[in-house]
Amino acid sequence: MSVGVRRRAPRLERIGSTRLRIFAMLLVALVLAGMVWSRLAYWQVARHGQLAIQAQAQYRELVNLPAIRGAIFDRNLTQLVVNTTVYSAFVSPDQVPAAWRDRVATALVSIVGADHAKVMNILGSTSKFAYIARRFPKDKADQLRALKLPGVGLEEDTQRSYLPGIASGTTLAANLLGFVNYNGDGQYGLEAYYQKTLAGTPGYISSYRDLANREIVLGTHTHQAPVNGSDIVLSLDANVQYAAEQALADGVKKDNAESGSVLIMDPTTGGIVAWADYPSYNANDFAHTDTAMFKDNVSSYVYEPGSVMKVVTLGGAINSGAITPDTVINDPGYLSVGGFRISDWDHRNHGNINYTYVLQHSLNVGAMKAMQAEGHDAFYSYLQAFGLTKASGIDVAGETTVPPPSAAQMADAQYATSSFGQGIDVNMVQMLAAINVVANGGKYAPPHVVERVGSRINPLLLQPQRQVITPDAVAKMTGMMEAVVQHGSGYTTRVKGFELDQAGKTGTSQIPVNGQYTLDVWSSFVGFLPASHPRFTMLVVIRKPHAAGSDRDWTLNDGYITAGPVWQKIAQAVAVDWHITPGAH
Amino acid sequence: MQVASSTVAERLRLNSFGHAYLGVGAVLIAVLFYLALAAQITQNSYDITRLQDQQRLLIAEQDQLRYQEVTLHAPAQVQQQAAQSGMQRVVPSGYVTGQPVAIDLTAPVGATANDSTPLWARALAAVVNTVGVTRDVLAASR
Repeated sequence: MSVGVRRRAPRLERIGSTRLRIFAMLLVALVLAGMVWSRLAYWQVARHGQLAIQAQAQYRELVNLPAIRGAIFDRNLTQLVVNTTVYSAFVSPDQVPAAWRDRVATALVSIVGADHAKVMNILGSTSKFAYIARRFPKDKADQLRALKLPGVGLEEDTQRSYLPGIASGTTLAANLLGFVNYNGDGQYGLEAYYQKTLAGTPGYISSYRDLANREIVLGTHTHQAPVNGSDIVLSLDANVQYAAEQALADGVKKDNAESGSVLIMDPTTGGIVAWADYPSYNANDFAHTDTAMFKDNVSSYVYEPGSVMKVVTLGGAINSGAITPDTVINDPGYLSVGGFRISDWDHRNHGNINYTYVLQHSLNVGAMKAMQAEGHDAFYSYLQAFGLTKASGIDVAGETTVPPPSAAQMADAQYATSSFGQGIDVNMVQMLAAINVVANGGKYAPPHVVERVGSRINPLLLQPQRQVITPDAVAKMTGMMEAVVQHGSGYTTRVKGFELDQAGKTGTSQIPVNGQYTLDVWSSFVGFLPASHPRFTMLVVIRKPHAAGSDRDWTLNDGYITAGPVWQKIAQAVAVDWHITPGAH
Repeated sequence: MQVASSTVAERLRLNSFGHAYLGVGAVLIAVLFYLALAAQITQNSYDITRLQDQQRLLIAEQDQLRYQEVTLHAPAQVQQQAAQSGMQRVVPSGYVTGQPVAIDLTAPVGATANDSTPLWARALAAVVNTVGVTRDVLAASR
C-alpha cells in the first residue's frame, strides 16, 4: 500500500536543474572573465605599442648631443668665425613669490635690458614659462646666475661669432661667409653652401629617469656620439679682405655710388683672395638686419661688363690669328651693324689705328672689327672657352647667371655689342675668371673659395686647367694691357713702383632700364700685378656712381675715375702686405 | 641528520624569539646596506650633474676667450691699435727689383750631369758611406 508515502521529485529533474544552474553560473563567470580577458587583451595586445611609448616617455629621456659646427679659417689660418655660447633668460612665474616679483623684474631690467612693466605682467600671470631675453653673452648670464633669483632660469645655445669689419656695424667678409640662423642652418654664402660639411651630424643619449626626474646612472644608456662638422680653410686673406673693404667703402662714399664690389683672385689656382661688398651688414646681428642686405652682389648680381670684355674679344682674335696688336684698322668713330649705327664712346674719328691703341683708348669700333675678323662662330667659342656662357660653379651659395642665347640665335647687332661688353650679362666671378686666363698663362683656373675641407684638398686644385689661349697670345695681350696702364685709360690705377709692370683695363657700361640705356653706369677696372709674374688679379665694380660734376658730364663716372682709384689703393696694400716686387725691366 | 641552523641554534641556545631577532637584524643590515648604496649613487649622480654644469661653463668661457683672442688679431683691431699708437702704413718709396729664380725645376733629381768630382773620389765616398757612416747611423738608431 502506498498511502501516506511522500512522493519525492524525480531525481533526474533535480539533477538537471542543478547542472543547469552550475552551467549558467559557469557561463556567467566565463562571460565576465572573458570580458576581463578581452579588456586585458585590448590593453596588452592592441594598445601595447602606444602604451609602451607613453611609458617610455615618462621614464626615458632622449638628450640631443649637438655637433660642433666646423670653423672657417683664411689662408693664413686666421679664424674667421668662432662658436660661442649665448644664453636666454626665462621665468617660471608660479615659482616667483609675490614679494620677490619687483626685485626679480628690477634685476632682469638692469642686466638683460628687459622692459620692467612687461616683466611684471609676465610674473603676475598664470603662465608656467616665458622668455625674458634671448641670446645674450656669457658675462650677463654670469651676473644673472650670481643673483640666484627664484623662478629665473638660463638656457644655453650656440652662436656663430664673426670678426669685426671696417665699421662697428659690419663684420668681415659678411656677404661671402653668410651666417647661421637660430636653427643652426647656414644662410647665404659659404655657411649655406657648405652647410652639410660644417654642421656635422648630431648625436644623442637615451637614459632613464626616476620619479624625481633624476637620471638613473646605473640604467641602460644608449649613446650615439655626435660627428662634429669639418673645419674649412679658405683661399681668402683676412688682411687683404680688410684692405679691400676699407678702400671700397671709401670709394663708394666718395663717388656717391649705390654700391660696389671687389673680387681678388690668385691667378694660378683660381682661389679667391678677397670678396668685398659695400654696403655690407653685421652677421653677428642678422636678426635686426634688412634682408635686402644679405644679397651678395659679387656672384648673385649680373651686369654688363662693358669694355673689360675687350680683353676677351681681342685675346680670342689674337689667338685665332685674325689680328695682332699691330694690325692697323680704320676707325671713323662708328660702325653700322645689323641696321644699327654703333659708335665709340667719344664719337670721334680716330683714323688709322692699331689694336694696341684700340685697347688703350677703349674703342668699340676696334672691338667690333676684331670680332668680325675672327668670325661669329670663333668669337662665340671663345666666349665659351673663357667661361662666359655658363655659371662659374664657384662654391658660394646663390650664383646667378644669364647665359647668352645660342650662337645661331644671336643677332649680328648682339655679336657686335657683346664684343665690347654690352648686351651680354655676366657676374663678377665669371668676368674675373675670364680675365684671369691672361694672367694665368692662357689657362682657365676654376674660381673657388675653399682650399681645404678638414685635411682634404679641394679636388678642383688637383684637376688640370684647360688651355684657352696660347702663351704667345698671352704675351701679346699682357703687353696691350700694360699699355692701357702706361699710356691709356688705366693711368689712375698706377701702383707706385709698378708703373712698367702692371696690366689692366677699364670698363664702363650704361645700365638698361625697360629696354633703354640710361645715364647710370656700372664702372669697373680689372687688372693683374705684376704683369710679368702675376700674384693677383682684381676686379672692382662700382654701381651707379655719381661722381662730382657727373651731372654735367656723365663720363666722369667712368671706370678709370671711379673704380680705378679703388683698384690702385687695394693693389698698393696687397703689394706691401705680400711683399710683391716689380719684375726686371 | 641534523640541520645546520638547528645545530647553530642549539649551540647559541636561541629560542624562537632569538631566531626572529636574528632574522630582523639580517634584514635591517641588508636594508641599511641598500640605503647606503642608494645614497652613494644619488650623491654620485649629483656630483656628475654638478661637474657637467661646470664643464659647460668652462667650455663657454673657453669659447669666449677664443673669440677674444681671434678678435685681438683681427685686421680691424690691429689697425685700431696701430692708429692709437700713432703708427701709419707708409707707401714704399722704392722696390727692390725682382730677379728671375736661377733654379731649373724641370731638371732631373740627383747629381748634376756636370759633376766634376773624380770617379775614384765618388767610389771612395760610397764605400766610406756604406762601411762607416751607415753603421754609425744604425747604431744610433738603436
